[in-house]
Amino acid sequence: MSPHHALHDPIFLAYVRIIFVALAGGGIVLGILHWGLKKELGAIWSTYWSWLVLAPIGMAVIFAGRVPTIIGVTLLAAFGFKEFARASGLYRDWWMTGTVYAGIATVGAASLMPHPRGEEPGTGWYAFFVAVPVFAIALILLVPILRNRARGELQRMSLGIVGFVYIGWMFGHLGFLANAMNAYGYLLYVIFATELNDVAAFTFGRLFGRHPLRSEISPKKTWEGALGALAVSMVLPWLLRFSFPEFGPWQLILTGLIIGIGGQLGDLSISVIKRDIGTKDMGALIPGHGGILDRIDSLIYVAPLFLHMAGYYHELR
Amino acid sequence: MKKWQYEPAQDLDQRLIERLRNFPREPDMLIYGLRSLVALIIRGLLRTYCRFEIIGNEHVRSNRSFVLVANHSSHLDTVCLLAALRLRQLHRAFPAAAADYFFKSVPRTWIATVVVNALPFARQTHVRQSLAICGELLANAGNVLIIFPEGTRSANGELQEFKSGIGALLAGRDIPVLPCFLDGAWRAWPKGKRLPRPRKVRLIIGAPRNYAAMPPEKGASSAIAADLRDAVKQLAEQHAGR
Repeated sequence: MSPHHALHDPIFLAYVRIIFVALAGGGIVLGILHWGLKKELGAIWSTYWSWLVLAPIGMAVIFAGRVPTIIGVTLLAAFGFKEFARASGLYRDWWMTGTVYAGIATVGAASLMPHPRGEEPGTGWYAFFVAVPVFAIALILLVPILRNRARGELQRMSLGIVGFVYIGWMFGHLGFLANAMNAYGYLLYVIFATELNDVAAFTFGRLFGRHPLRSEISPKKTWEGALGALAVSMVLPWLLRFSFPEFGPWQLILTGLIIGIGGQLGDLSISVIKRDIGTKDMGALIPGHGGILDRIDSLIYVAPLFLHMAGYYHELR
Repeated sequence: MKKWQYEPAQDLDQRLIERLRNFPREPDMLIYGLRSLVALIIRGLLRTYCRFEIIGNEHVRSNRSFVLVANHSSHLDTVCLLAALRLRQLHRAFPAAAADYFFKSVPRTWIATVVVNALPFARQTHVRQSLAICGELLANAGNVLIIFPEGTRSANGELQEFKSGIGALLAGRDIPVLPCFLDGAWRAWPKGKRLPRPRKVRLIIGAPRNYAAMPPEKGASSAIAADLRDAVKQLAEQHAGR
């Protein structure tokens, strides 16, 4: 991955067009609803405006190459964890948050560096990347021992481990995808399809939503929305098949299932955390979306599942 | 099982600009680390680009709360004073910054809070409240307050009158105050210029003064302000041309 490659990569160029068309199409639909049919859209506009900013930033980072992509994912994970720490109150414990930040940085480093003895093909040190949680959890468990403290430490360790494994490491898989031979296809498809799945769930929910999906967790999500999004996500791999020419029908089905179901589950799992803590959003950084975690929640769930599925059937690097 | 107690940050659902404007702040590791890193880079740049030199550094080596008072003619002034502190002190050092200038737009507010750790001082609307916040900071040990009593950057580099607010803050309080003189900052980066020029900058830190014996009554404020101004002027004359 590099700017030079990106300019000559048919997959990257195709996604530039696809995303442009998707944003323009979305704008036209919203415009017709707002001015043509006089519907009250409210917060949807700010959600849309934020997309207009986020999409080019994401494309620019991927265009810039492998290293910027991995650094970008690592920064998103760090700031995502920061939101989690602020929402749960863990941020007051600088030892624990510092340990988790160090773990997140290590995930980024393992994605960037090659195997020290050259025993793995290509870039990235996969064996270490998948083993980072062992070391991070060992360090997290070490913190109370070093500080000679026990009271309330189980909660802090648990929050630290969930924060690291879920937000740092699982989301970090998205960065590791930048090492794949077909990095543009995997990265762009996963991000585009996951976000489209979110938009589809919202749209189908708004149009046909009757039956709550998980009433105790997220009252606004409905079965209609989830199934509509799943249908879209099952069709999309076939429509964008050029993204992964090496995939057969079975892998296309799995891709659809991972994004269609995983996307919803990622959303719901962050909702569980928010519900238990008692906040509405994880932050207010992105107008119309909430915090960083509210935006990347589905990707956290989808990215590792997709990477391991693709890596099972094909040489990743 | 007993319920876990979460204590979310107070500012979770606030927009970025509102969150940045909050004071006192609740920083986390990331801000702390970023501020330290930027401080090290700024110190390196000052040393090389401005051949920055500090005289009287030993006076800031204190674990008590104290006030730094200096002449103000450049944006360099604040970073120079911060560069004289130890890194540990940095996160408890609060340069009083004009709320109407530094806490308006997002980028400026971000720099003022994350890099400088500035205290929003409402010099035009709420001077009394702002001084009260300063007083609370000084009541706790280990805080450093940085104040430019001229109230704004001097356009011609000359020392202007000191506002009496500094006197009201210090009168009757057992708080050491260090008069400082910044030499060359105006030549390096005067008001209205976009970028600093490579000119030599010196910071001279004077011996601490204390106005605990001055009762906070009428006239004391302006007397203290005038006394501090003389002290800064004296530092300037002592070290002139060296």
